[in-house]
Amino acid sequence: MLRTLGLLLALVGLAVVPIFVTDSYTRHLFILAFVYAVIASNWDLSLGYAGLFNFGHLTFFAAGVYTAALAAKTFGVNPWLAIPMGGATAVLAALIVSLPVARLKGIYVVLVTFGFSQLVLQLILSQSQITGGAGGMVRIPGLEIGDYRFIRDFKFGYYYVALGLLTLSTVYLFWLTKSPFGKSLLAVRDNEDYAQARGISVARQRVLALVASAVFPGIAGGFFAIYLRVAAPDVLSFGTLSLALSMVLIGGTATIIGPIIAALVLTFATEAMAGIRGMEEARFIVVAVGMILILRFAPGGLARLIGKST
Amino acid sequence: MTTLVSGIVLGSLYALMASGLSLIWTTLGVFNFAHGALMMIGAFVAWTVSEPLGLGLWPGLMAGIGSAALLGIIIEFLLVRPFYGRSNMLLITVMTTLAAMIILEKSAQIIWGARLKQLPRLVEGDVSVFGAVVSAHEALIVLLAPLILLALWAFTTKTATGRSLRAVGQNQDAAALLGINVPLTFALAFGLGAALAGLTGVLLGGIRFITPSLGAEPLVKAMIVVIFGGLGSLGATVGAAFVIGLAEAFLVLVLGLYWTPFMLFLGLIVVLIFRPNGLFGRA
Repeated sequence: MLRTLGLLLALVGLAVVPIFVTDSYTRHLFILAFVYAVIASNWDLSLGYAGLFNFGHLTFFAAGVYTAALAAKTFGVNPWLAIPMGGATAVLAALIVSLPVARLKGIYVVLVTFGFSQLVLQLILSQSQITGGAGGMVRIPGLEIGDYRFIRDFKFGYYYVALGLLTLSTVYLFWLTKSPFGKSLLAVRDNEDYAQARGISVARQRVLALVASAVFPGIAGGFFAIYLRVAAPDVLSFGTLSLALSMVLIGGTATIIGPIIAALVLTFATEAMAGIRGMEEARFIVVAVGMILILRFAPGGLARLIGKST
Repeated sequence: MTTLVSGIVLGSLYALMASGLSLIWTTLGVFNFAHGALMMIGAFVAWTVSEPLGLGLWPGLMAGIGSAALLGIIIEFLLVRPFYGRSNMLLITVMTTLAAMIILEKSAQIIWGARLKQLPRLVEGDVSVFGAVVSAHEALIVLLAPLILLALWAFTTKTATGRSLRAVGQNQDAAALLGINVPLTFALAFGLGAALAGLTGVLLGGIRFITPSLGAEPLVKAMIVVIFGGLGSLGATVGAAFVIGLAEAFLVLVLGLYWTPFMLFLGLIVVLIFRPNGLFGRA
C-alpha cells in the first residue's frame, strides 16, 4: 500500500518534470533514462525472478531498434505502428534464443545468449545494404499527431511517450511478478527439482520468462529508433551491455524498482561525466568500479540498501 | 593450400587463447570475460617495451606475458576471490570480469590512445610450405603453439603443482585436506591463463594492428572454441580450436568475410541445442 503510494507520487513527480525543465538536453537525459529503465527492469524479470542469467535483452532491444527503423524508413510504416512492431520482433528473437537456452545451465546460458547477440551484430554489419552496416541508418521518420510534429517541441512530447512506456512496462512487470506465473518462476529459481515435482515444466517457464521479458525492451528499442531517428549497431557493444547489466545489479535483482532507480541514477551520472573533459572514456571505468563495489559490499543492490535503512 | 595454412595459423592462436580460458574455468569455475582484454594489454606492453623504450622484441615479449600474468593474478585477488562460496558466484564473476574488461580496455585507450600500433614480427622473411607462402612469423606461431600446449599438458598431468590445479578443480575441500594450498593454486591458474592470453596478444600483435579493442574478437572466438569443445578439457579445447580455425578459413574462402562469423555462431547455437556440453563434452 505504502509502496504503491510512493510509486504513484514518483510518477506524478516525473510527470511534472518537463513543465519545469525546459531545456531539451535535460529532457533528453530523462528520456534516455526511461528507455534504459525499461530494458533493465525487464531484464530483471528473467535474471532476478527466473534466475536465468542471460545476455539477451540488449539483443531484444536491438531487434526493436532495427525493426522500427526498417518499418518506418524502408517500408514507410507509420512510426506509431513501427514502435510496437519492435516488440513483436523482440518476442520472435526471444523465442529463437530460448530454444537452446531452455535446456542449458549456468555459464552456457550466458555464452549462448552472448553468442546470439554477436550473431545479430554480425547480421546487421554484413547486411549493410539493408541496415546501413557499421554506419547505421539515419533520418528515420519521427512521431507526428496530425500536423503536430514531436521534433519541434524541445522533446516535450517524446518525454511523455517515454514516461508512458516506462509506466506501462512497470505496471506489466508488477502484475506479472505477482501473478501465479511470477510465483512459479521464483519456484523454479529457488528449487528446480521441487518445482518440477509440483508439475512445473522448467524448460517451458524459461521460454516464457524470456519471451515475456522481451516485449517491452523491443518496444523501447522501437521508440529509441524513432526518437533518435538513428539505428546504429553500437547498441550491441560491450559498453552498452555492461552499462545496462550494471543497472540491474546495482539496482538490486528481483526487485523491479531497483533497476529502474539505478537506470535513472546511472544515466544522469554517466552523461554528466561525459560532459567533463577527459572523462569520456573514464566514466565507464567509474561505472565498472561502482558495480564491483556494490557487488562486494551491498550484494542486494541499491533497492535493498534503501529498504534496510527505512 | 593458403586457406589450409591460414586455418592452421588461426587455429593455433585460438588454441592458445582458449586453453587459458579453459584452464581458469576448470580450476576456479570462473569464466574470464577479461581474457581478451588481458591479451590486448600483453600486446600493448610488448609494444611499449620493444618500440618506444627500444629494448627489443624479446624483452618486450617477456614483459607482455609477465604483465598479463600479473594483471590476471590481481584480477583473481581483487575481483574473484572475495566472492568464493557465494551462491550466485557464477553471475558475480561474469560481471566482475566483464567490469575488469571494461576497465582494462578504457585504461588502454587513455594510456595508449586509439592510434594503430604494430609489433615487429618475431622472425623476418617468408617461408614456403607445400607451395603456400606464409610469413615466417606465422610459421613460427604454428610451430610454437603445439609446443606450448604440450608443455601445458605435461605441466597439468606430470608435475605435482600442475596436478594440484586439477585436484582443486575437481574437489576443493578434498584438495585442501591433502595439504594443497587452494588460494595459491587459484592465483596460479589465473596467472597462467592470463600469461597464455598475453602470449597470444604478443603473437597477434605481429599480424594485426594493436588497438584497445584488439581482444574483443579473439575473446568471442575463444568462447566459440570452448563451447564447441566443451569447457573443461584441454584436448577438446585444442581440437575444437583447430576445427574452428579451419572452418573459418574455408568459410571465408567460400562465403566471404561477411557471412563467416554468422555461420560460426549459427553452428555454435546448433551444437548447443543438440549437445549442451559441447561437441566433445561428456554429458
